[in-house]
Amino acid sequence: MEPIIELHNVSYKYPNGPKALDNVSFTISRGEKIALVGPNGAGKSTLLLMFNGMLKPDSGEILFNGKKITYDREALREIRRRVGFVFQNPDTQTIAPTVYQDVAFGPVNLGMPRDEVRTVVFDALNDTGLAGFERRPIHQLSGGEKKRAAMAGILAMNPDVLVFDEPTSALDPAGSEDIMELLDEMQVNGKTIIISTHDVELAYPWADRVLLIKGGTVLLAGKPGDVFYNKDLVRSCKLSMPVLLELYEGLSEKGMPQIDKLPKSALDFITYLCENCGLQRKEEKTCGDIYLADVEHTSPAIVQNLLASGSIAAVGAMGTKAKTFAGNGNICPEFTYGVIDKCVLKAINKKNTLILTSGGMFARVHTRVEAFNQEYDQHIRVIENF
Amino acid sequence: MYYEFLENVAQNNHLRDIHSVIKLVFGLGCILIAISSQSIIVPLLIIAITMFATLVLAKINLKFYLMLLTVPLGFAVISVLVIIFLRNSGTTLLSIPVFDWFNIVVSTGSLNEGLLIFSRVFAGMCSLFFVALTTPVTELFTTAAKCKIPHEFIDLAMLIYRFIFTLIEQAVQIHASQVMRLGYGSAKEGINSYGMMAGSLFINTWIAGENLMMAMDCRCYDGKFALNADDLRFSPALMAGVIALLAVLIVIAVYTRGFILFGA
Repeated sequence: MEPIIELHNVSYKYPNGPKALDNVSFTISRGEKIALVGPNGAGKSTLLLMFNGMLKPDSGEILFNGKKITYDREALREIRRRVGFVFQNPDTQTIAPTVYQDVAFGPVNLGMPRDEVRTVVFDALNDTGLAGFERRPIHQLSGGEKKRAAMAGILAMNPDVLVFDEPTSALDPAGSEDIMELLDEMQVNGKTIIISTHDVELAYPWADRVLLIKGGTVLLAGKPGDVFYNKDLVRSCKLSMPVLLELYEGLSEKGMPQIDKLPKSALDFITYLCENCGLQRKEEKTCGDIYLADVEHTSPAIVQNLLASGSIAAVGAMGTKAKTFAGNGNICPEFTYGVIDKCVLKAINKKNTLILTSGGMFARVHTRVEAFNQEYDQHIRVIENF
Repeated sequence: MYYEFLENVAQNNHLRDIHSVIKLVFGLGCILIAISSQSIIVPLLIIAITMFATLVLAKINLKFYLMLLTVPLGFAVISVLVIIFLRNSGTTLLSIPVFDWFNIVVSTGSLNEGLLIFSRVFAGMCSLFFVALTTPVTELFTTAAKCKIPHEFIDLAMLIYRFIFTLIEQAVQIHASQVMRLGYGSAKEGINSYGMMAGSLFINTWIAGENLMMAMDCRCYDGKFALNADDLRFSPALMAGVIALLAVLIVIAVYTRGFILFGA
């Protein structure tokens, strides 16, 4: 894959402080989902601030799209437009009195004409599920809404890379699930996403690649499974192993046959247990169907009809548009995060499910289910016309 | 601790979607007519109209509204009492001897004057509260920009607006954490704690300022602030109605300028 950000031997020291980054080198490819994990004070935030030129390395160099970042005014403006940065505390980030004004802040400063500003702001608010909040003052929003407003402000500038410092800190579980799904949605739309976190449960299933950081150096970079299954290293970073891996390890010690690939989600693990540990007989191969509805091309009435037929065991809503759709149509989705996996799981248990989604997420349902069918020799059907 | 800000009430009132220029013209017009009125008739009318607009049309909570009014009206009552007892003209209605050489006297003239001033203050306050409770500050920025006020002032006002609430939130939190640890047990401790709160607020403000610079840099700040998309519909019919109402009030004011309650 084409690299978008490259760091070569980057070191940085705060004035009167210890070394914050020590000889850090790595490459991030376009369209990747990267999680920087590490204990407090490991240098995660410092590293993030390097990506958009807020901090200048003392030594070493940073390349964006193959070109070295320079630190003159014009170049910095360009890099900050291309690399959007969302602060940990949304109160830091939101500047203007109302939601509309705040989201419009970046676009106006980029010199967009009035009408275009309007369009991009309304799009960004739509994408983050804040449509209708335009005139609300920021200080009246809840924590999750503020976070979304901060994200919308960055999205409106249409960056290639989105950098999030602790995207889910101080959010309730439903709020952080929403945010993580929003990140997935952005990645499907072609953005590269970099987050810092110390929530391993969150990083493990989400990230394509994990960078384990401690004391200003990258200890290990690799697939989430490879990084987090390294028990001693994880513990030395004051982190814990994801529950799924701990379970896998415990069961392996009890004599469960080894898997060639570590389970990435509950679905993987359950299917594996069913296949190999006698929880389900092999000949039982019939499974439920997954109904798929594009909320941009269907009406709540059609969905209500399907639900009224009684064949659907659970409904999942993927993406903000689908959630708005469900809200408007008085449909109460059972799943709002990890929707595809949960629906596949239901299908294995011979239950039918319905997924509401839109745009780029639509195709992802097909690819994910097909991949699953191939890998585990299942025959789950995805039905679009009903 | 819980604060109810006028601004928060204004954000949720039912006249929010009326163009702010119309509300400003109405409110300011009423104030000007009320304070230049020569009799109590028009101020009383204005009180009735603005109260109707605030309570019935904008659906502001009655209890909250009355509580708001008690503050300025309390001051007004005291000042008007002073006028009634100290000014002296017309026929004497009441005379209370205090010392041999000093009587407190209420006369028709002083009573008329006191009532007139009170009615003007009352009407002015009602009109002012109408504007304050129906027009959020966030809408005024757009209006101010239209009035060609230099954008440096407006940008500054917007930043101040945003950070007032952050500052208050922090002050409330610090105060709460001090109260929880018995920081206001005695008067001496209270003063000490209050000073500490002021000190840490100052430091927090400093940090917030630096963070603000960073956030603005991150978002490509180039000296521009966005204004709200101007999507409130300006209704010429409503504007004409408001102007007609103000004109009627002026006519009534002119015709009733000689009216007095007591004496001739």
